[in-house]
Amino acid sequence: MDRNQLMKWIKAPTKMAHKYSLNAVYFCTGCGVIEVPPTITSRWDAERFGVVPTATARQANLFLITGYVSVKTLRAIIRTYEQMPEPKYTVGFGSCTINGGMYWDSYNTINQLDKYIPIDGYIAGCMPRPEAIFVAVTHLWTLIDKDMADGYKRYRKNYAAYRANQEMILGEMEWPPIFQTEVATAITEREG
Amino acid sequence: MTNPLGTRLDATFKGVELRSGVDGRLAVVVPREAIVPVLTFLKEDGYDYLQLISCVDWIDRGEFELVYLLSFYTEDEVGRDGGKQEVLLKATVPREQASAPTATGVFAIAEPHEREIHELYGIHFEGHPRLTPLFLDRDYEIPPFRKDFDTKQYVADVFDRVPPIDEEG
Amino acid sequence: MRELELYFGPQHLGMVGNFSITLKVEGDRILEATANPGYLHRGFEKLMEGRSWIKNFPMVCRINLVDPDHMEMIYAMGVEKLAGIEVPERAQFVRSIYLELARVSSHLFGLWAYANMLGFDTVSNWAMYHRDLVLDLFEELTGGRVYHIYVWPGGVRRDFPEGFTDRMVSTLHSIGGCVPDYDTTFFNNKLFSERARGVGVVSREEALAMGGVGQVIRATGMKYDVRKVDPYAAYDRVPWEVHTRDDGDAYSRICVVRDEMIESVHMIFNLIDAMPEGDVYNRVPNPLKWKIPAGEAYVRCESSRGELGLYLVSDGGEKPHRVHFRTPSYAHGLAILEKTLVGANIADVGNIMMSMYVVAPEIDR
Repeated sequence: MDRNQLMKWIKAPTKMAHKYSLNAVYFCTGCGVIEVPPTITSRWDAERFGVVPTATARQANLFLITGYVSVKTLRAIIRTYEQMPEPKYTVGFGSCTINGGMYWDSYNTINQLDKYIPIDGYIAGCMPRPEAIFVAVTHLWTLIDKDMADGYKRYRKNYAAYRANQEMILGEMEWPPIFQTEVATAITEREG
Repeated sequence: MTNPLGTRLDATFKGVELRSGVDGRLAVVVPREAIVPVLTFLKEDGYDYLQLISCVDWIDRGEFELVYLLSFYTEDEVGRDGGKQEVLLKATVPREQASAPTATGVFAIAEPHEREIHELYGIHFEGHPRLTPLFLDRDYEIPPFRKDFDTKQYVADVFDRVPPIDEEG
Repeated sequence: MRELELYFGPQHLGMVGNFSITLKVEGDRILEATANPGYLHRGFEKLMEGRSWIKNFPMVCRINLVDPDHMEMIYAMGVEKLAGIEVPERAQFVRSIYLELARVSSHLFGLWAYANMLGFDTVSNWAMYHRDLVLDLFEELTGGRVYHIYVWPGGVRRDFPEGFTDRMVSTLHSIGGCVPDYDTTFFNNKLFSERARGVGVVSREEALAMGGVGQVIRATGMKYDVRKVDPYAAYDRVPWEVHTRDDGDAYSRICVVRDEMIESVHMIFNLIDAMPEGDVYNRVPNPLKWKIPAGEAYVRCESSRGELGLYLVSDGGEKPHRVHFRTPSYAHGLAILEKTLVGANIADVGNIMMSMYVVAPEIDR
C-alpha cells in the first residue's frame, strides 16, 4: 500500500471500504448477463476487484443493469434500486441502456435508461467483454474517490422528476414514493 | 393431390382445400369452424405433436391466417419420406372482430401459443381458459404485431417524449 | 395451513434469468404455479419485419443468449430454403462442427447454472472456465466471444484459419480430460443424486402431450432428436448416438446433458476426419437489395435445449413478411414447468427450472 492509498484510508475509511467491496445485485436484466458468470468465476475472477454478487438488494451497493430494459423489467429495476441502501452505484451495461441499441424501434424497450434512474457510468458495446467490466469497476473507483459517483444523491435531489418519468411509462405504480420531496430536500441539504 | 391423408381428409370434411405445401408438407386450408375437428382427426391419425400456432397478418386481404403446424414424435431414424409428413393447417379469420375456436381441448400446448396470439394480434379464442396478458405490461391501442402498428411512430410518441432529467434545475 | 401467494423472481437468487413465477403455496408445498414471462420481450419478430433479410442476422442471435449459434443456423436455413440457395459440402461440415462447439459451450453454461443452484461451487467454476476455453476458440474463428454471426446464407463467413482444428482438438481434449473429475465431484456424487433424484419428474406421456423436446423427453427414454429425424448440415454423414435416460427426473436430464456433451466432442472429431476440401461459401445476390421470392418455409434444428423451429413467410419483398420462432423453452417454461412445480417444494423451484434448461429470453423473444 503506497502512501497515497494510506492517506485515503485514514481520511475517509468508509468511502474506501465502499469502494473495495462492491456487492453487485444478482439480477439478470438483459442479455449482457451472459458475460457476468465468466466474470465472477475462476477465470476472470471479479473478486480481485472486490466485486461479489449478492443475493438481495438490501445488501448490495452496485447495480449492473445488463442490457436492454423492457417496460416490465423497468418496474423491477426501479423497485430493486429503491431497496438498495445508500451509497449505491449503477452501471449501465451495453449500448442498449445508452440509447436503445439495436432495439431502438422496439415498442417494449425503453431507450434511455438515465431518464428513469440515475446512472453512474456506462460500458459501451454489445457484448462488453469481461475486461470492459473491470475497466468500468476501476473507473468507478476513481469516480467514488472524487465524489463523482453521486447517482443516488441526484436521485434524491431530483426524485420528483424521476418519479414523474417513471409514472409516464409505467402508469400507476404499486408502491408509494420513497421520498417525500421535502424530506429529500432536507436530506440533501444535510448531507450534500 | 394423390396423398392418402389428403384423400381421407377430403372424404371426411367438407370445405377442406388441399394445397401442395412447402417442401413435402401437406398444406390444408379449412374453414374456421373446422379447425378443432380437423385437429382432432389429425391427432388421432398420429400427428400428436403441435409444433407451433402462428398467425400471419395479410392486411391487403383484410384477414389473419392462423397456421397450425403438426408433426409427430418418432424414435425411428427416418427422414421426411418415412411414410408420414408434417401437416400445415391453415384457417383464415377476418381482421374485424377476429375470433377463432380454441384448440386447447385437443393439444395442451396450444394454451400459451393462443394466449400469445391473443395478446399480440388481438384474436379472441372462444373457450380459452385464461386469455390474460402474457408478455406485455402496457396497453396498446392496436395489438403490436398487426401490420398497421407502427413501432417507430410508437417509440417517438411514447419513449422519446419522456424528458431527460434536468440535473441543474 | 394458510395458503399464500409467493412471487418468485425476477430478482431472486433461485432464479437464473429474468423470469418470474407466481406460486400459490401451503407451507412449503406448491399448490399452483403460474409462469409470468415477458421481462425480456422485445418483439423480435415484429422488429425483424422492418429490417432487410441480411440485417436480421445480428437480431436473431440475440434471441437466445446462451446458444446464439443455433439461432443463426436456423435463420440461415430458412432463408436458404426460401431463396433456393445451395450450400457447399465443406460448409455443411464446418457448420456442424461449429454447432457442436456451440452445444458444448451452451451445455457447460447450463451445467454452471445447475451446479450453482445445487451448491456445487467447485463444479460451476470448472464448467464456466471450460466454457471460456471454448469461447476462445469462437473468438479466434469469428472475432466475437458471445455473438458470432458466423453462419451465413450460402455457407459460413470464412473457413477455419490455419491450425485451428489442431487447437480445437487440443482444447476439447483438455476439457475431455476433466470428465473423470466432473464425474467424481458431481455426476457420481451422492449429494447430487440425493438433491436431484426424484425431483421434478415428468412422465413421457405428460412431456409429449405438452410439446416437450430435447433433454426433457430424452430423459424419459424417448430417442427423439431432430439431428436424426430430420438431418441437416452434416449430421447424417458421421455415426453418432442419441443418449437417453429413463427416469424423467432432474437427475436424468442433467445426465443426458453430460452424455450429449461427450457425444458432441466425439462427433466433432469424426466430422474433422470426414471433412472434404472445397469452398465454404456460395455467393448470394447483393444483400442490400436482396429480394426473396414469395413463399413460406418451416425449418427445424436441434438446439442445445431441444427442437428449434422457424416459420418464415416472404411476400417477395426485401424484408420478411412474418417470422415466428418455435423455441424449446417455450413449451418447457410455460406449460411443463407449471405442471411439474405442483406438489414440489419451494426450495426445488430453481432446481427443476434449471434442469429443464429454461432460458427466459427464448420464451419472451
